[in-house]
Amino acid sequence: MSVENLKAYIESGVLELYVLGDLSPEETVQVEEMASRHPEVRDEIAAIEQAMEQYAMQNAVEPSADVETKLFELLGLNEEKESQNIASTSLDSNTTEQTKVVQLDTNYTKVRTLRYALVACVALLIVSLASLFITYNKLNDAHNQIASLNLDKQKFAGVVSKLEFDNQGLSNMAEMTDSKEWATIRLEGQKFSPSSKMKVYWNKQNKNVLINYVAMDLPKTDAEHEYQLWALVNGKPVSLGVFGGDEKAKEALVKMQAIEQAQAFAVTVEPRGGSVNPTMDKLTVMGGV
Amino acid sequence: MSALKKITLSEPELVLALQSKDPAILKTLYSMYSSSLYGVISRIITHTELAEDVLQETFVKIWQSASHYDNTKGRLFTWMMNIARNLSIDKLRSKDFKNSLKNQDIENNVSFVDDQNKVTFNPDVLGVKQLVENLKPDLQAVLDLVYYKGFTHVEAAEKLELPLGTVKTRIRLAIIELRRNFN
Repeated sequence: MSVENLKAYIESGVLELYVLGDLSPEETVQVEEMASRHPEVRDEIAAIEQAMEQYAMQNAVEPSADVETKLFELLGLNEEKESQNIASTSLDSNTTEQTKVVQLDTNYTKVRTLRYALVACVALLIVSLASLFITYNKLNDAHNQIASLNLDKQKFAGVVSKLEFDNQGLSNMAEMTDSKEWATIRLEGQKFSPSSKMKVYWNKQNKNVLINYVAMDLPKTDAEHEYQLWALVNGKPVSLGVFGGDEKAKEALVKMQAIEQAQAFAVTVEPRGGSVNPTMDKLTVMGGV
Repeated sequence: MSALKKITLSEPELVLALQSKDPAILKTLYSMYSSSLYGVISRIITHTELAEDVLQETFVKIWQSASHYDNTKGRLFTWMMNIARNLSIDKLRSKDFKNSLKNQDIENNVSFVDDQNKVTFNPDVLGVKQLVENLKPDLQAVLDLVYYKGFTHVEAAEKLELPLGTVKTRIRLAIIELRRNFN
């Protein structure tokens, strides 16, 4: 081939297409034949290749790290074996070898760190769940304790108010027994209710009449009935008012109507609101002054 | 950082180790060339996941067909680059790729299609961008098509409505321009 023809061949652009892999198999064989025969063609191809390689290097884009990991997994090349091979390879200098090992280690360490982090996270999750469960149980126990303590508290409050009630009645009773102003009249159980008894307190000066629930032992009345206190004045009964069963009282001591003079006091069971005359067959207690 | 330092070996050493199937060499090869090859692939396939798949396939093919490489016919990198380009173009034309296009959300579609239709430059290689921009527009258009978009020169001629000869000449002129810049 003449020099002109060779120049024209080089300038046709076929060598560039050859390097870019853009020729048919036949054309490729032709180019390779030309290259083997003409050093100019070979040099030109080398120059084009170098330019494209440079170009690719300058346009390099770093792929993500896991491509490499996946690639070596896919090819089944395990990293340990590789580093051994590296050690036995006479190809690279010491520095290359060292760099290589460091690079492997970085990747390895990263994966291992992530693995540890995952394990730590799972462990933490389990511990958290366990402590949450324990705390929940404790909280439930605490709730139960609070509930039972509340119940106890209510019970005690009930006991305390009952005690206060009794105490009030008892201390009044004691005072009145001590003082000379007050006369204490004992009312004894009658045929209707032999075991009943109560006390009536009568002030000699202002003639006030008091009864004390604490000093009283009467059977309970039903909802339609209550007790009525009578004074017997010259053989005639005079109503001093009604009072209910023990459980309805707010104060231990109840003031009844005053009476100027009386020979005896009696209590009968009467319909709610009281009666004008006492029902004598329901005479519960009676006592003379 | 020494850990990031690239390992470099001369081509004959690389080829020798590669053809003797020394597993260590693949690591070296990857560290030397993965980013250059990925640069080529990712400009043909802008979809990151697919591009990374192709990069992986490229190295698998390099590894498996190392014995087919003939160093009398060209540089190792040219051989590897052509594997990468061919696999990229195959992927671009495959069902896989077309499906991945279909699977894009409508909202993403506009920008995705845009991405597929334009050449984007890595900001890391701004100098190269400038260099390519220094090319005359008609040279740049041809180089874009055959180098970045995976067109054959015949397809490029159709696309640009130019005679085949003109396309070939422009490719040559563009590469000569690059040679001048790199030398």
